[in-house]
Amino acid sequence: MKISAFSPFHKTKAIHGILSIVPVMVVLLFIRLYPLASSIYRSFTNWDGLYRNDWVGLKNYINIFTDSPFWTLLRNSLVLLLSVPLQIIIGLFIAVLLYEEVKGWRFFRTLIYLPQIVSAVTIGYLFRIAFGLEGPFNIILQAINLGKYTMEWLGNTWTALAVLVFCLTWFSIGWQAIVILGGMTRIPLDVFEAAKLDGATFFQRTFLIIVPMIVRTLEYAVIMSMVWTFTSVFAFIFAITNGGPGYETTTIDYMIYTKFYQAGSNFGFATALAVILLLIIMVFTVIEMRFTSAASDWE
Amino acid sequence: MKKTMRLIIFGLVIISTLLAATGCAPAAPAAPQKLTIWINARDSFISPSEQKLSQDQWYISQAIKRFEAANPGVTVELVPQADALQAHQTFRTAGLANNAPDIANLWGGTFIYALRDVEADISQYIPAEDKANLIGWDTVTLDFKEGNPIIGYPTPDNQMCFFLYNKKIMTEVGLDYENNPPRDVETFMADMQKIKDAGYLPMAADEGAGYPYYFFYIAGYWWVQQNGLEPILAADRGDAKFADDQALIDTLKLYNEIWAKGYMNEDAATSGDSWNKFLQGEVALFPSVPTFVKDAQDALGEENVGAILPPNFSANSKIKDSLIGGPGQSLVVSKSSKNPELATKFLSFINSKEEVLKFYETQTKVPVRKDLTPADLKLQPGSVGDKLFSWSKNYIFWVDNSLSGPVVDNFTKLLPLVLTGKMTPEDFAAELDKVKGQ
Amino acid sequence: MVKNLTNRLTNAFIFLTLLAISISNLYPLFFMFFNSLKHRTDYLIDPFSIRGLSLTWENYVTMISQFKILSLFGNTLFISFFTILFILIFGIIASFAFAKLKFPGIDLIYLLIISTMFIPVQVTIIPLYIFYSKLQLVNSYWSVILTYLGMFLPEAILLMTASFRGIPDELLEAAELDGAGYFDKLRYIIVPMGVPAIVLTIIFYFIVTWNDLFTPMVLLQDMSKRTVMVALASLLSRYSGDPTFQFAGLVLATIPAIIIYAIFQQYIIKGISAGSTK
Repeated sequence: MKISAFSPFHKTKAIHGILSIVPVMVVLLFIRLYPLASSIYRSFTNWDGLYRNDWVGLKNYINIFTDSPFWTLLRNSLVLLLSVPLQIIIGLFIAVLLYEEVKGWRFFRTLIYLPQIVSAVTIGYLFRIAFGLEGPFNIILQAINLGKYTMEWLGNTWTALAVLVFCLTWFSIGWQAIVILGGMTRIPLDVFEAAKLDGATFFQRTFLIIVPMIVRTLEYAVIMSMVWTFTSVFAFIFAITNGGPGYETTTIDYMIYTKFYQAGSNFGFATALAVILLLIIMVFTVIEMRFTSAASDWE
Repeated sequence: MKKTMRLIIFGLVIISTLLAATGCAPAAPAAPQKLTIWINARDSFISPSEQKLSQDQWYISQAIKRFEAANPGVTVELVPQADALQAHQTFRTAGLANNAPDIANLWGGTFIYALRDVEADISQYIPAEDKANLIGWDTVTLDFKEGNPIIGYPTPDNQMCFFLYNKKIMTEVGLDYENNPPRDVETFMADMQKIKDAGYLPMAADEGAGYPYYFFYIAGYWWVQQNGLEPILAADRGDAKFADDQALIDTLKLYNEIWAKGYMNEDAATSGDSWNKFLQGEVALFPSVPTFVKDAQDALGEENVGAILPPNFSANSKIKDSLIGGPGQSLVVSKSSKNPELATKFLSFINSKEEVLKFYETQTKVPVRKDLTPADLKLQPGSVGDKLFSWSKNYIFWVDNSLSGPVVDNFTKLLPLVLTGKMTPEDFAAELDKVKGQ
Repeated sequence: MVKNLTNRLTNAFIFLTLLAISISNLYPLFFMFFNSLKHRTDYLIDPFSIRGLSLTWENYVTMISQFKILSLFGNTLFISFFTILFILIFGIIASFAFAKLKFPGIDLIYLLIISTMFIPVQVTIIPLYIFYSKLQLVNSYWSVILTYLGMFLPEAILLMTASFRGIPDELLEAAELDGAGYFDKLRYIIVPMGVPAIVLTIIFYFIVTWNDLFTPMVLLQDMSKRTVMVALASLLSRYSGDPTFQFAGLVLATIPAIIIYAIFQQYIIKGISAGSTK
């Protein structure tokens, strides 16, 4: 049954659609788009956060690419992105186990979300201590006869980044598990039971039955955790490595934060960095959406 | 159609509810005799012991009551700021919206100079008596230049940087720091070796944990004392090169040497527990400011805690037997203030002799007034407090409050690399030259 | 027999792994609680030892009697409640449109809305503050709530649109043939079938707004309006303040968040559409 685009039936639907998004558009226009547009404009100025506001063209952007550790920052942001697939896969397994009501599932389901409730400052401090030179992690290594691998984990580029990836993953597993559980509620029970009766293994059930049915949920999980990793992890980095050694674990959002808070801040530079970050995330999101649209075509 | 209408009405109801709700927000009444003052919620006017009291029992609230009683018709509203760093941004933004408090507690030096466009010149209102009796006016005078506009008062507490030491360890090692503290680097290094040989850690710091205090408290002194602050400020402005500053290079070499010789915790670039270790009695020396003294005394016993000045870098230094310090915090008056004269009157009141004496009943810091004696503050002769008091008149102002933001940022980020020998002092100076004069 | 044994081993392994994760999740909370029962000096000496652990509730008593943490809870609760209410109202109808009421250009609008999430809030706070001050909204809870709406509506729309897309079109078409209008569809189909997404929205944005420091710290400059996290943050810097007292407050502040999570997560149940799809 094909309905012409001009049929009254379709038109009502479109009007409903437009009216439905009006409130959101009004809020976002003032609260997000206007400040965003103003920030994009400021990124072409030497704005000091106050009255100095002269047009400098592309100077801030040129400075970022030539005179700042931008490529290190970008590398670090991309490395931290590794935590996204890790947390989603672990979160997925846990969600499936909880769904199948593994022994103690009620207890686990309550505790799994706890890290989200505790402040990043406390979590960061505990990670800093845990991976300190004399911290529990090295003590455990020594106890299990791997003493030769003990080291200053936060003092070297790649091990410090690995600790950060570990921390972000640990922090987000519960969030992912709950999101995926939410997506799994729509799987018809009989489909799942039938697969189990047919003798499908845990991995078959997870990847052949569940994953195809929660593509949209996974899309949401990927975009959200990607955006979060790009824009909101500086509190963890500040507490764990302080962006060091040197700039080796400083990310783009951490740098934006630093530039905003230094005395005599160059807000033009900081906003230009934010605009670049916006473009990077935009590219990732569009690619991701294309990918899931293709994956869910047969839905 | 009916349904569309319902939908439109529904949408309008939501929007108007929101607008109505927002519209009824109270507009601040513009009473001319009202002062609003922001203070840092920690580390300035409210001592740790006061935090557990309700707000009206704090020293600062009591002081405000006294001010109100002495000035009928005036009310003062106190707003503590949760985060001192953020307070600078909030003040800037509020100033831009002409909404800033009359008085704000911010960090002195470059931090408040960067906000000069929203700060008021109060030079004309400051009584001569205050000018004569307080120290630290340079930190609230634009660009540290005498004759420039004064934009606020220093806070009543003077900070200074020194070493706290564990007397028990020193006695065991055979060092008498009460009567014979090390005054030059050679003696200091020999002492460190002795402490190390006795099985103790000579010194500890968390240099990579946000604020490199071992440098800014101690090594910064070695840097500035050699030629004074002026050549450093010139390099910061871009008139000279940090790479040509031999004092900086030499200081950084010593800074690294202390770590390389094992006189410090090996993990100083990544640790987060050096203060715990000092309090546990494992560490001999700890770079400190007065806020630390009471905790050290509580943990180690008052009789086991001593204080010494940092040793002098060399016999040729321009400045000797001094230390880094000065009022690192200030109280500035904003341009949004409708009554800068009254605001200045309040600042003068808070810094008056009577008030400062009351303030020091709750604090273990050192005052900025020149007309107080150790007896006024009930300091025991020879105590740590007495020593700090005697040092407080002769300080070099904080290096990190004197340099521009980008330079301080690079400093903070890259210092741990220099400390642990991953970056040479020369490369470090070159990195500073890249961001200076911005 | 062998299969049974492997099964048991696998189950034991799974159980122990989940247990290890759960214990690590519990640890930060335990750390705060444990230290909240100490005095400041004992905490500073060693935060990880039982030294100085007293079973007094002094910090908690002071938190409630002097610090008045419960009235601070009220302030935050007000903000959280209205933020969630408006996110749900605006978010559900918008997500309904994005999922089921397509019109030309809607996908571009969707991307535009989503992309407002890509910029850190620090970047936009100055223009926002000036906007609010023109409307006399600074120091009003509504400035914080509006800011949260701007920050979290796109996220919530992303979540709910993903969920509503999974609702079969046939259901909506059948309802339409029965004469169901816009609101009937929302009430009888979209909302009941979107319960998991709605529940997640409530959980996420309660906890995020409850714990947020930055926005209320900038926008609420009035002692009586401070949120609980801003007030608690005022208690501590690196070397001053009383950490154990702050921990007592932080532990108390987790309770409402845990309760909200514990209540609402129960609504995430299996086979929510089992009866209606067929």
